[in-house]
Amino acid sequence: MEELEKLKKELKDLNAEYAKIKDVPAEKRGEFGRELNAKKMAILDKISKVEEVLMDTEVEAIDITAPCGVNEKMPDVYSVFDGSLHPLTSELNRVSEIYRAMGFDVVESRQLDDEYHMFDSLNFAKEHPARDGYDTFRTEEGFIPPAHTSTMQNRVLKMYRNKLLQGEDIAVVVPGRVYRNEDVDATHEHTFYQCEGVYVSKDCTMGNMLGILREFFETYYGQNLNIRTQPGYFPFTEPSLEFLIEKPKSLGGKKGDFLEMLGCGMIHPNVLKMAGIDPEVYHGFAWGGGIDRLVMLRYGLMDVRNFESGNLNFLKEF
Amino acid sequence: MKISLNWLKKFVDIKIPDDELVRLIGARLVEVEGVIDETHKYDKIYVVRVVKAEKIPDTHLTLCQIDCGADELVQVVCGAPNVREGMLAAWIAPGAIVPASVNEDAPFVIGKRKMLGKYDSNGMLAGADELDFGDDHSGIVEIDPNMAKPGDLLANVFELNDLILEIENKSLTHRPDCFGMIGFAREVAGILGIAYDNESFKQGKKYASANKALSNVATKSVIKILDDGICDRYSAILMEKHGEFKKKYLTFIDTILAKSGMRPVEPIVDITNYLMLLTGQPLHAFDYDKFVAVSGSSDLEINVRLAKKGEKLMLLDDREVDLNENDIVICSGDVPVALAGAMGGKSTEVDENTRKIIIESATFSLYNLRKTQMEHGIFSEAITRFTKGQPAYQTLDVAEDCAEMLSSGFKVIDAWDNYKNPSKEVTVVLSGDEINSLLGTNYSDSMIKKTLENVNFKVEVKNGNFKVTSPAWRTDIHIKEDIIEEVGRLNGYDNIIPVLPKHQTVGVNQMLVLKNTLRKNLSKFGANELLTYSFVSGKLLEKAGLDVNNSYKIVNSISPELQYIRQSIVPSLLDKAYVNQKIPFDKFALFEINKVYQKEWGMDNENVPVEKMHLGFVLAERKGEGVAYYKAKFFVEKLLKEYNIVARFLPLKSDIAEAKPYEPKRAAEIWAEDKLVGVVGEFKNSVRRNFKLAELLAGFELDVEMVLALKTDKKIKNNFEVKDKQDVTITTSEPYAKVYEEVAVKYPDAVITPVSIYQAENSSTKNITLHLEFH
Repeated sequence: MEELEKLKKELKDLNAEYAKIKDVPAEKRGEFGRELNAKKMAILDKISKVEEVLMDTEVEAIDITAPCGVNEKMPDVYSVFDGSLHPLTSELNRVSEIYRAMGFDVVESRQLDDEYHMFDSLNFAKEHPARDGYDTFRTEEGFIPPAHTSTMQNRVLKMYRNKLLQGEDIAVVVPGRVYRNEDVDATHEHTFYQCEGVYVSKDCTMGNMLGILREFFETYYGQNLNIRTQPGYFPFTEPSLEFLIEKPKSLGGKKGDFLEMLGCGMIHPNVLKMAGIDPEVYHGFAWGGGIDRLVMLRYGLMDVRNFESGNLNFLKEF
Repeated sequence: MKISLNWLKKFVDIKIPDDELVRLIGARLVEVEGVIDETHKYDKIYVVRVVKAEKIPDTHLTLCQIDCGADELVQVVCGAPNVREGMLAAWIAPGAIVPASVNEDAPFVIGKRKMLGKYDSNGMLAGADELDFGDDHSGIVEIDPNMAKPGDLLANVFELNDLILEIENKSLTHRPDCFGMIGFAREVAGILGIAYDNESFKQGKKYASANKALSNVATKSVIKILDDGICDRYSAILMEKHGEFKKKYLTFIDTILAKSGMRPVEPIVDITNYLMLLTGQPLHAFDYDKFVAVSGSSDLEINVRLAKKGEKLMLLDDREVDLNENDIVICSGDVPVALAGAMGGKSTEVDENTRKIIIESATFSLYNLRKTQMEHGIFSEAITRFTKGQPAYQTLDVAEDCAEMLSSGFKVIDAWDNYKNPSKEVTVVLSGDEINSLLGTNYSDSMIKKTLENVNFKVEVKNGNFKVTSPAWRTDIHIKEDIIEEVGRLNGYDNIIPVLPKHQTVGVNQMLVLKNTLRKNLSKFGANELLTYSFVSGKLLEKAGLDVNNSYKIVNSISPELQYIRQSIVPSLLDKAYVNQKIPFDKFALFEINKVYQKEWGMDNENVPVEKMHLGFVLAERKGEGVAYYKAKFFVEKLLKEYNIVARFLPLKSDIAEAKPYEPKRAAEIWAEDKLVGVVGEFKNSVRRNFKLAELLAGFELDVEMVLALKTDKKIKNNFEVKDKQDVTITTSEPYAKVYEEVAVKYPDAVITPVSIYQAENSSTKNITLHLEFH
């Protein structure tokens, strides 16, 4: 308290100083004013800090072990009708559940990773221009908030490679949050969700990959779909392709209205090698695609920015 | 990249409809982002002869009578200085749209009008800019009488009724050869199952063999490549002017450049650009005399090296750049005159006085050029191609093509070729089984052979084994899988039959299950699940009383709002509580389960930052009553009870980041067994003020991995029949927990529920009433 009074008096005195400006020679008035202003800012800053401390010390302590306040009624949770679940997390769960029913384990992706997992272990040559395509963020230490869930490929291959020795296949999906340094608009977010899939066995084929993907999308949208592929390029798959589905009629699609859903391909032998799996004996395929778009399509949403807006008007719709 | 279908069709005999072609290109070669329909862009634009041209006195205008192929002449007023009797021009007839304006909101329709109040003018004679062939507005275009006659549609003469494909460059990052029409067309032939006739496109061959100076190029050189790994090959041809090299007529090349998204500018540059679009190989022209003069010596010395720190270079666009040790420079002697692959220098620019030119055709390290591109912000068609890694095999061929195309104005004096690092032939051996077993196909040996040979691979087959040698331009071929990709792609992945692999057993991810039930429980309790950004502002951290230095900082963040990786969830929820209180919602609870990172947690065993899964929760009421702390505590206790976790609430003492926003007198640490599970409480007044939130505000943050470790499935009490019950009231000044403990010890079999805490006015003690049930 005393300190606050003292500071307030200082401020008052300083304000009085301003009156002296008329006695200062014209050419020095600027400097005089600036000095006073700087002093004033410093005092105001101190006052605000002291006030903050005071504000936090004037607080009354309570019995933190009690279930309620003295003479107050017992608290309760809110009405079930007020509650809501985020559509993206719900759909991520649904996606994982569909893959689980198809025989896939689920591992969540990291949200801060390193250059090795994001690029090196995925057969990106050092300094290769393909790295630019991912518009990655970086921390001061060089860590990367991953730009794709493929950042987990090397980990899950290592985590599950013992399954191969036991005669089983590796079948894992990796949902997770990814980040790209991108301008945000109705269809672009710097923060979004992807789901990665990895499958390795002795005898799997590209036909198996297309079979799994078609099965997934047909289950997800609950109807038969026309699928299509087009060539793509990813350093970590060879061959690489893009997977498209014809937009379902029930969701306003027209014939020939194909949507790119994900990138996929046969895992590059170098990627298997780096995870300690012999590419002469085993091969596999992998895919990765955005979840946000899937959900937007399913619910007919127009603006991806709503997902991270925290706006209850939007979230309570679900 | 833009691809004209009309131009493409000059290289491949295409017999299928355009829409099917576009679909196949998309399905088997590259992502087609869009198709620009130019089939009506040049409607009602005719080739005409200017029959009479009379100057209108005291104006810059000319009154013209033109022959447009009809019986009668048409009168047009023209403002161009180059209009003259006898010339062939392009006439935009009344009712036609000016091609340069077709993409504008209101395309400009040409009509009939009266000029100067008395001269009827019908339509207009067009300049290159109006026809969308560049920016030249100096006069009207003139058409070669050998190409057309009056009345011809301009679109027919120059094949302008076209579809232009917009190609997503990223999907061709590994295919430098496809950045030229010859290479692109080869792939189109391949996907249509047609053998590509590669030999027929080596245009300059005859010219080269007839030219003395070009017959023994490799044996001598003035070119030195001074650093390793920066330039595989550098070819150059010296030419001298022997006549006027001026463009008179609108050319096919002009239309190709325009359709490919480039602008015709100047004849020599146009030819080098055209060859780049054709072959993928960028070219550059230097003024020879200036080049030699710069070095201070009288001899030509072309040196390719890395730049030295402190060197500067004035570029063609009048920008002086500070070179760094990654930039590759072309030097005359030791003086840099061009930023290799990126842009030429001002000091050797070709101008109207140029007598001799050096045509440069070279390849440079894509890694260096990629950095140069970023460092100096140069994004040209040429550097786009160089950064894909142009192959070295064709540099001299393309330079020779260029020499031939310039031959009407320049003759070859000398040529040099430094092929420092000759490309090696790549041969891959694999079996048909390997191909079919990876793709899930059943392609025959002969089909595989033909597929690869169509795009100029050399293929030998013996007993189902293939020896495949890739052509010089296929720098992307190294391993078996690269060949398998070619076979699968060129025949269409769509022809592979989707088959499900057999089912197998799966494990359960306990964390996912837990997270899911936490979400469902909290929403059942009336709370709303949020997802908020992992990136927060330094200001947000400070507002919540957190130390920014404990957050990983993004060096290339989109904005200061997204500069730090969050350490905990609650600050983000406080931020969103403000948003919702403003809407206004008077009473709500927000929660989010997500990953957080703190620097003080250090690294995990993979040497990446330790990550934790946190559950953050904030409740905010504007008109509510009661102590916010107890409300939040009730939520968290009830939640943990779902997992049979009995929590103890101890004074807030630890210095963890999650605890920072809380008011120690009205907050608690949540302990279960010997583990700190989280914190719960009201926030410091300063924090609440910083977030501009109403008074009734509290929250908690849990370490979800702790919840996972502590949770048990067994029910503590599963007998619903109540055998006996009783209320006890104890008068005390002790904290509640102590009273509860004493009762619990005394009645070990009882389920204890609090009923009320009463304190009379002026009393120093309170009455705690507990309800006991015995099962």
